[in-house]
Amino acid sequence: MKVTDVRDVPFGEWSSTVLSLREEGYAYFDWLTAVDETDRETDAGFDIVCHLLDTREPGSLASVLLRTRVADGLPVPSLTGIFRGAAWHERETHEMFGIEFDGFDDGSGLGLRPLLLPDGFEGTPLRKSFVLAARASKAWPGAKEPGEGHDSARAPGRRRVQAPGVPGPEWGPR
Amino acid sequence: MEQPGRPDAPASQPVSQPVSQPVSQPVSLPMPTIGPASMGVLGGHAPKPIKVVLNWGRRYSLWVFNFGLACCAIEFIAASMGRHDFIRLGVIPFAPGPRQADLMIVSGTVTDKMAPAIRRLYDQMPEPKYVISFGACSNSGGPYWDSYSVTKGVDQIVPVDVYVPGCPPRPEALLHGIIRLQEQIATERLSTQKLKGRYAGNRVGSAGDVRRPLLRRGAKPGEGGQ
Repeated sequence: MKVTDVRDVPFGEWSSTVLSLREEGYAYFDWLTAVDETDRETDAGFDIVCHLLDTREPGSLASVLLRTRVADGLPVPSLTGIFRGAAWHERETHEMFGIEFDGFDDGSGLGLRPLLLPDGFEGTPLRKSFVLAARASKAWPGAKEPGEGHDSARAPGRRRVQAPGVPGPEWGPR
Repeated sequence: MEQPGRPDAPASQPVSQPVSQPVSQPVSLPMPTIGPASMGVLGGHAPKPIKVVLNWGRRYSLWVFNFGLACCAIEFIAASMGRHDFIRLGVIPFAPGPRQADLMIVSGTVTDKMAPAIRRLYDQMPEPKYVISFGACSNSGGPYWDSYSVTKGVDQIVPVDVYVPGCPPRPEALLHGIIRLQEQIATERLSTQKLKGRYAGNRVGSAGDVRRPLLRRGAKPGEGGQ
């Protein structure tokens, strides 16, 4: 399915825009997540993304991808008052990105609590600042890059990228 | 009507009372021990032909318990179907549960959240038990090796006998792994010393080291349930 409409809204109009879209007919809540944009030079923060569908007309799906940028640490207005199904998505976004949702209510009264991660998991794994310590603790038994680990003389001329999450040299040799 | 048992029965109850056990004491279900424990007397002193016969019997009736966690499980199913058909090797994929299985094939990505369940089901299998790690993910974590949620190989929680490499391995690779395992079983000595030594560290320690309490409705995390 092709996303037909991408809308960037100011942070302050987040929940009111979702509410008005629901009134317009985009009444099917597809998903909600966040994108870590904290390494942006301007307006760093997190993109909160929400996908809404209009399913009224058979054979054609209209959809809206709604985005807003929130600074790190600011709580986001919860959508659970508009779409009850947003609760799982907001819990997941909370545990993966550490974003707080203001006014979150899924009827249980337990608030934002982990949804997918195992008990006792510390950290917010989908943030770019989250270091994948597994790389430092247990060595990968094979080759990390194409050409490594074989007897071939030359490694391919591939640009070595330092991806987010890869532990730096201060984590020790690997 | 003097029934000697009658007065004794109430009298015996206060004897057990001072132990003051909680009412909801969990029932102790010991791990099933079939195999070396019952074979011990015979196996320890059995002449070689008997050992060959016993091993021959065990290697061709491997009731398998498929722990299918990801796409590798599809290859396992393919290996059980008509074209590859590992039943002709004596691998029987109809074990009703881990308590009736001899062989566990872990096929797929083992996550940290699934790991306690794997360990718990492994502990429920009777001895002698074997584990085949099928595919790159359960061998070492595979392409998800540095993920925050993937266990770096199922051998971190259960002892593995045969590793089948591949992503996913072809069904022929599983057949090869099964034959390798059967060769290992054929050369196995039936003395309980060796088997006990092999399983002691893993079996005596229950699943508790990787186990969390069962979730109860309304239970707060961390309180557990007694």
